[in-house]
Amino acid sequence: MTDATFSSRAITKRPIDWWRWSGRVFLVFLLLFTVLPMVWMVLTSIKTQFAAMQYPPQWWPAEPTLQNYARLLDPSNSVGQEFLRYFWNSFYVALTTTVIGVVVAVPAAYAFSRFRFPGRTFLFFSVLLRNMFPAVVFLMPLFLLMRWLGLVNTHGSLILTYLTFGLPLSIWLLKGFYDNIPIQLEQAARIDGATRFQAFILIVMPLSSPGIIATSIFSFIGAWNEYVYAYTFLSKQESMTLPVGIQRFFTEFATDWPGLMAATFLMSVPVVVLFLVLQKYFVRALTEGAVKN
Amino acid sequence: MAEVVLKEVVKHYGAHIAVNHVSLTVGDGEFVALVGPSGCGKTTTLNLVAGLIPMSGGEIHIADRLVNDLDPKDRDIAMVFQNYALYPNKSVYKNLAFPLQMRKLAKPDIDAKVKEAARVLDITHLLERRPRELSGGQQQRVALGRALVRDPAVFLMDEPLSNLDAKLRVQMRSELKRFHQDLHTTVIYVTHDQLEAVTMADKMAVMSGGFLQQYDAPDMVFAKPVNTFVAGFIGSPAMSLVPVQVVRKGDAVWLRSVDGWEFELSAENGHKALSATSDKVVLGARHSTLRIHKSAEPGTVPGRVYIVEPTGDVTFAQVKLGASIIIVSLDPHFPIAPDEPVFVEFNQNKLHLFDGETQMALAAA
Repeated sequence: MTDATFSSRAITKRPIDWWRWSGRVFLVFLLLFTVLPMVWMVLTSIKTQFAAMQYPPQWWPAEPTLQNYARLLDPSNSVGQEFLRYFWNSFYVALTTTVIGVVVAVPAAYAFSRFRFPGRTFLFFSVLLRNMFPAVVFLMPLFLLMRWLGLVNTHGSLILTYLTFGLPLSIWLLKGFYDNIPIQLEQAARIDGATRFQAFILIVMPLSSPGIIATSIFSFIGAWNEYVYAYTFLSKQESMTLPVGIQRFFTEFATDWPGLMAATFLMSVPVVVLFLVLQKYFVRALTEGAVKN
Repeated sequence: MAEVVLKEVVKHYGAHIAVNHVSLTVGDGEFVALVGPSGCGKTTTLNLVAGLIPMSGGEIHIADRLVNDLDPKDRDIAMVFQNYALYPNKSVYKNLAFPLQMRKLAKPDIDAKVKEAARVLDITHLLERRPRELSGGQQQRVALGRALVRDPAVFLMDEPLSNLDAKLRVQMRSELKRFHQDLHTTVIYVTHDQLEAVTMADKMAVMSGGFLQQYDAPDMVFAKPVNTFVAGFIGSPAMSLVPVQVVRKGDAVWLRSVDGWEFELSAENGHKALSATSDKVVLGARHSTLRIHKSAEPGTVPGRVYIVEPTGDVTFAQVKLGASIIIVSLDPHFPIAPDEPVFVEFNQNKLHLFDGETQMALAAA
């Protein structure tokens, strides 16, 4: 009891830390700034067409409805067909980019971390060179390249492009991970009877899974959200990805705000779910190596 | 159990030669310590025996088998690493079982062997824990257990005790020695701590600059160091080494320091001193062979006490003879104070003489 009274007195006696409070106010402001548009998006998506256009606006929908979602997810009408096709295209492009990215980045990062070969430093920094320029700079050259390769209007063009942008980051992130795994673990495994490859699969891979998960999220989200390249490379309606496809909604149903908001909401679901499920790995990956042990 | 033979083993990284034509034979069941300062090539040598890095030249035989081109897994060895290298995502049980699983043993056999190793090392109660939940000493035992469980031909140990605190290190040292006495397995043990090497090993290989300097039983290395490096490395405190000049006075041979002090050598030591390639020799003396006098006596050398270090059982005094410092051990009750003038007597029978040019020990011609 005496402990409790003592500590509470100690807290009340402490002077108000204005610096800390101004930080909190700033964070609350930032939170409202990012969350309010999303709240408005969700609220609009469950309004009727009429309610969405009312002025002054209905802050809370008088007759909430899921009709907009039902329409988007119903494959029997044209809007639903289109939306689901875009969704599937985006998912296919993002997933393929992620899988190929991991398959390439894992051995590349491992090699950069473990082996000393001629040109290693040069190669490692040339991997980074791409990141020194804004993505838009590569738009025309890549478009011409894709046309020459005959890949315009295919998902292959996007997957290739996203890989060139995503791989450097994946390799850097993963290399940091492998650098932190003591080489003695592999040596021990090899002495214990594993081949070099088995040591990698059985010992190193499980230890680097947080890094692999984090890089997967990175490349998935990057590919899922990308707009400019998808808009440039794809002109056929049936091959479009969500960010571009939603824009079509916007022009076709210019006044259908609830429909657009419902589509936007559905588009953000996979990313949010990925983050929520895997965020602990993600944070671990970004702070890995910051503190030894 | 097996013999390990190294023949002219070389490892270089570009122009840097890490291991320079090292040849040595580790007998069946012998405990051999590779000892030397950091960067002397001892760990590289061990990694070459393990097959973890490719050799640049030479041959390594384990149990009469040339293993140059064999993978580590095919060499029938086990290794204990300095940082233990326990698999952090596996329980202690799975750590111990891993080498057996890789060799495709049946599950009941694996279980029996893991439990037996755990019993021997007294870690049965830790089997379900993860390595990070263990203390340093416990991790050490698990690392040892993982090596032990497979019954390999050769144990390789890379500074296994250097991450433990001082008290635990001494305890584990005794346990390792006991464990070798019981199992009679061939052990190659790398350490930078000459005391570990001296106390545990049947033979020690002293390395420096990639070269094998001396390979012999610890008492022989201690009594007859082949050169000034070994003399200065083995023993704690190390042997005092003083560069001096050989001077002939009629039939007698004297040693004279640049600082002016001199003393006469015995006939045998005189012969040794004269066999040097020039008149420059290095005088070596262990702390226990030196005596301190309060007054000048024949054959003594004047000096001044520099530092007095009592350790309880014995007191070490650093005495300045001109510019050089020598270490003398004294009875703790011997009255001595810093800056006191004293006279040092060398024991002619336990004196070491090294060639001033080649740094090699001088033998009576």
